[in-house]
Amino acid sequence: MQADIKWLDDPEVFRVGVLAAHSDHLFYKNEQELEKKENSLIKSLNGVWKFHYSKCPSERPADFYKSDFDSSGFDEIKVPCHIEMAGYDQIHYVNNLYPWEGKMYRRPAHTLSGSHKWEGMFSEAAYNPVGSYIKEFDLEKEMSGKRVVICFEGVEQAMYVWLNGAFVGYGEDSFTPSEFDLTPYVKEKGNILAVEVYKHSTAAFLEDQDFFRFFGIFRNVTLYAKPQIHVEDFWAKPVLLENGNGKLSLDLRLSMKKVCQAKVEVLLQDEEEKVCLNRELVLEKRKQEICLTMEEAEIGPVKIWDNHSPHLYHLLIKLYDEKGELIEIVPYPIGFRRLEIKNKVIYLNGKRLIINGVNRHEWSAESGRCIGMNEMRQDMEHILANHINAVRTCHYPNQIPWYYLCDEKGIYLMAETNLESHGSWQNPGGQNSSWNVPGDLPEWKEVVLDRARNNFETFKNHVSILFWSLGNESYAGENIAAMNTFFKEKDKERLVHYEGVFHNRIYEDRISDVESRMYATPEQVKEYLIHNPKKPFILCEYMHDMGNSLGGMASYIALLDQYEMYQGGFIWDFIDQALFVQDEVTGKKVLRYGGDFDDRPSERSFSGNGILFADRTEKPAMQEVRYYYGLYK
Amino acid sequence: MDCTNNEKLKIIYGDATLGIGGKKEGKEFHYIFSYAASGMESLYAEGKEWLYSVPKPTFWRAATDNDRGNKFCQKSGVWIAADLFIKCIDVLVKVDGKEIPLPVMGENNQYSEEERAEQVELVYTYETVINPPARVQVSYRVKTGGRIFISVHYKGREGLPQLPVFGMRFIMPTCADKFIYEGLSGETYPDRKAGGVEGIYEVEGLPVTPYLRPQDCGMHMDTKWVEIYRSRQLSNCQKEEKQTCIRFEMEKLGFSCLPYTACELENADHQEELPPKRRTVMCVYGAVRGVGGIDSWGADVEPAYYVDAEKDMDFSFCIVPFAKA
Repeated sequence: MQADIKWLDDPEVFRVGVLAAHSDHLFYKNEQELEKKENSLIKSLNGVWKFHYSKCPSERPADFYKSDFDSSGFDEIKVPCHIEMAGYDQIHYVNNLYPWEGKMYRRPAHTLSGSHKWEGMFSEAAYNPVGSYIKEFDLEKEMSGKRVVICFEGVEQAMYVWLNGAFVGYGEDSFTPSEFDLTPYVKEKGNILAVEVYKHSTAAFLEDQDFFRFFGIFRNVTLYAKPQIHVEDFWAKPVLLENGNGKLSLDLRLSMKKVCQAKVEVLLQDEEEKVCLNRELVLEKRKQEICLTMEEAEIGPVKIWDNHSPHLYHLLIKLYDEKGELIEIVPYPIGFRRLEIKNKVIYLNGKRLIINGVNRHEWSAESGRCIGMNEMRQDMEHILANHINAVRTCHYPNQIPWYYLCDEKGIYLMAETNLESHGSWQNPGGQNSSWNVPGDLPEWKEVVLDRARNNFETFKNHVSILFWSLGNESYAGENIAAMNTFFKEKDKERLVHYEGVFHNRIYEDRISDVESRMYATPEQVKEYLIHNPKKPFILCEYMHDMGNSLGGMASYIALLDQYEMYQGGFIWDFIDQALFVQDEVTGKKVLRYGGDFDDRPSERSFSGNGILFADRTEKPAMQEVRYYYGLYK
Repeated sequence: MDCTNNEKLKIIYGDATLGIGGKKEGKEFHYIFSYAASGMESLYAEGKEWLYSVPKPTFWRAATDNDRGNKFCQKSGVWIAADLFIKCIDVLVKVDGKEIPLPVMGENNQYSEEERAEQVELVYTYETVINPPARVQVSYRVKTGGRIFISVHYKGREGLPQLPVFGMRFIMPTCADKFIYEGLSGETYPDRKAGGVEGIYEVEGLPVTPYLRPQDCGMHMDTKWVEIYRSRQLSNCQKEEKQTCIRFEMEKLGFSCLPYTACELENADHQEELPPKRRTVMCVYGAVRGVGGIDSWGADVEPAYYVDAEKDMDFSFCIVPFAKA
């Protein structure tokens, strides 16, 4: 297949050659590597890449992917990194207006039926920057001869991938991994990987989050080789019974390079490494790809997982070939907890759930949304020290290690799908849903379902996730209702969250298990709760901590004791989004916000709403959070 | 409280000012109250001058993001003018409780170089430049031993918009090294103080909370006392940098001690736009508006945390020209 630049303009093309989203597990080829947490089948491609920036598609080096292309004129860029932060394109902060506001007139394809077809909206735009990346690599000895996959953990906002001149695929959904099978094209030595990243595509209409607008490869790029038998995907479903006993079932999808009579061993160990379960599954069928299920198995009494004591069990899936030789081990932490709604109140493990939460964007004042373990660990320390028990991954899936960290520390997650189309129905110009996407438009349905699927399939094994969130501020229509159905059909236990039905009550019974609001006053919360409420109530955003704020928290906390169905909220938000620059006058390192980069239009310092300053020191208001959230610790 | 073994206050009936001197346990203090400059012009104690300009009532705080968002600045913006340009309309002097004709040039010919009293009081009446004008009376009562008892009375006036704050602002010639206070931990406001832990806290330097866009900060509610420590002086001949302190005593009032006035903070879009730290701006507040937090684009602070300018307000505190005895 050949790459087609017109895909940028077509909301119905959002993944070409992208492997199905799957569980975010690690795998090892033997016990020794597992013990050392070293994997000789994984190779990071992070580092220095060749790079060329073009202002628009027509100026890009269109044949840069060809093996004989002379890239000697290319610059170098660090991967991962936002292209703007490397100095190539305008840093721009804007809230809910689309970033081209006042510069280009655009309406999403298929909206306002009968009008303009919007051909070439992105592919022929006079301004739609392109990053052309080239990386040369050799395969490690250990990896050659095996099936090789490349994983891009995050690329904004649309990308085309080639290897050794051959087209590999096209992906959108900036905040979930995009994987491509390189096996047919990869060589032992001298591979040339070419990635063409576009700042805008139809995905831009779905990624209108209130944040700095960046593009580029901003998360890890990793190559991995699959052992002869490999766990492609699994879903471990631990169940906590009311009597305190646990049960576990498991869905598995395996692949084999060469069909063989494989054997699967499933082991569950508790924190003391005592084996609680040991099952052997024999594969009857002989196929390259096999789905199998371990039926529900009784575990006996288990230690429950919650915020106070996040007990984790150690799941090990071991794959053996027909000779009985160990081929692959997959370790995964799982936890036993029970989530349910009884009499319109959410209970976790039989106790009323109280959310003392915060919304968290991934942020570093040095590198934007390109963060590492260091930032994640620091964030977790602040969360634990201040009695915060829940995080909403606003407004997109986070880096994978964050979910593991939340499992380990007992932090409840509202796992949000990468969807926000705020500017398509509400912005400073008014509120009008005439061209809202995804809305009810069939052409915009699969793309948002894909985003829901990516979120679910990647993170489904994390005990920390209590809520799937359909996205943020995208209004409500048939397509968001379809996302709701997707999650409910897939996952019978977890709850679905979406705030937007508040603006379109027709969907109230079809979208969201909870009544979710943002910035409702304490009085408005009461209003809902005293008038025959339908659903448990959560504030997905409250206490807007812009600058010197966070006054009046007492009135919200009081609701927790007054109304059982009020189950708390997520403070807006965790960390100020501002960027360090060198002051052009004094030369000092200073923090800058929207508008400070000659970026227009901008909502200025409106991204500075953290309970942490941008440099990760706590704002004075944090002691208030610690006090009130501590009352329920 | 007052030590009886200290000598009575010495009064200097100047032509345009009233000087008050004395000693407490061998340490000298000397104050000058000005009729023309409309307030206390000099507070000399512990070997240095503590006032750069005349203390005045303060009515403004640098707008917080919530103040901007809920249009509080537009509704109550007149108070920034009141803060900047207040005028004094009356001064009154009482000696040992008895009012005397204002002892200005000529009137003061009846006095000698050896005038003494146990208590001297000056009452300044200020009027704001806004419409309708509001009046504030500030009384300084100086007692033997040097304590200054300050009472502030605000006369409410119908038709005036809500206040961001109401207090007294003291500007000191140089930056303080530190301040120590007994009250609540951290930065607290009337609607954000539950997390403040009571205790004695020492704050080095004069930190400005580094909000992305400079705004009101550094408020400490429910304070019992504050000691301000300074070493540097502006004097051309007194170069000694000995750290000494004066102390503000109060009954659960708010204060902030910053290197900037509200207007200096108001002017800056970024921290780096603030001028070099030069002075100490010590404000004692009788009333503080809450900061709010429901949202930052319209929601008001809760009514319990308004400061109503249509009602009378009173607060008082005391300046002790030495650290705690």
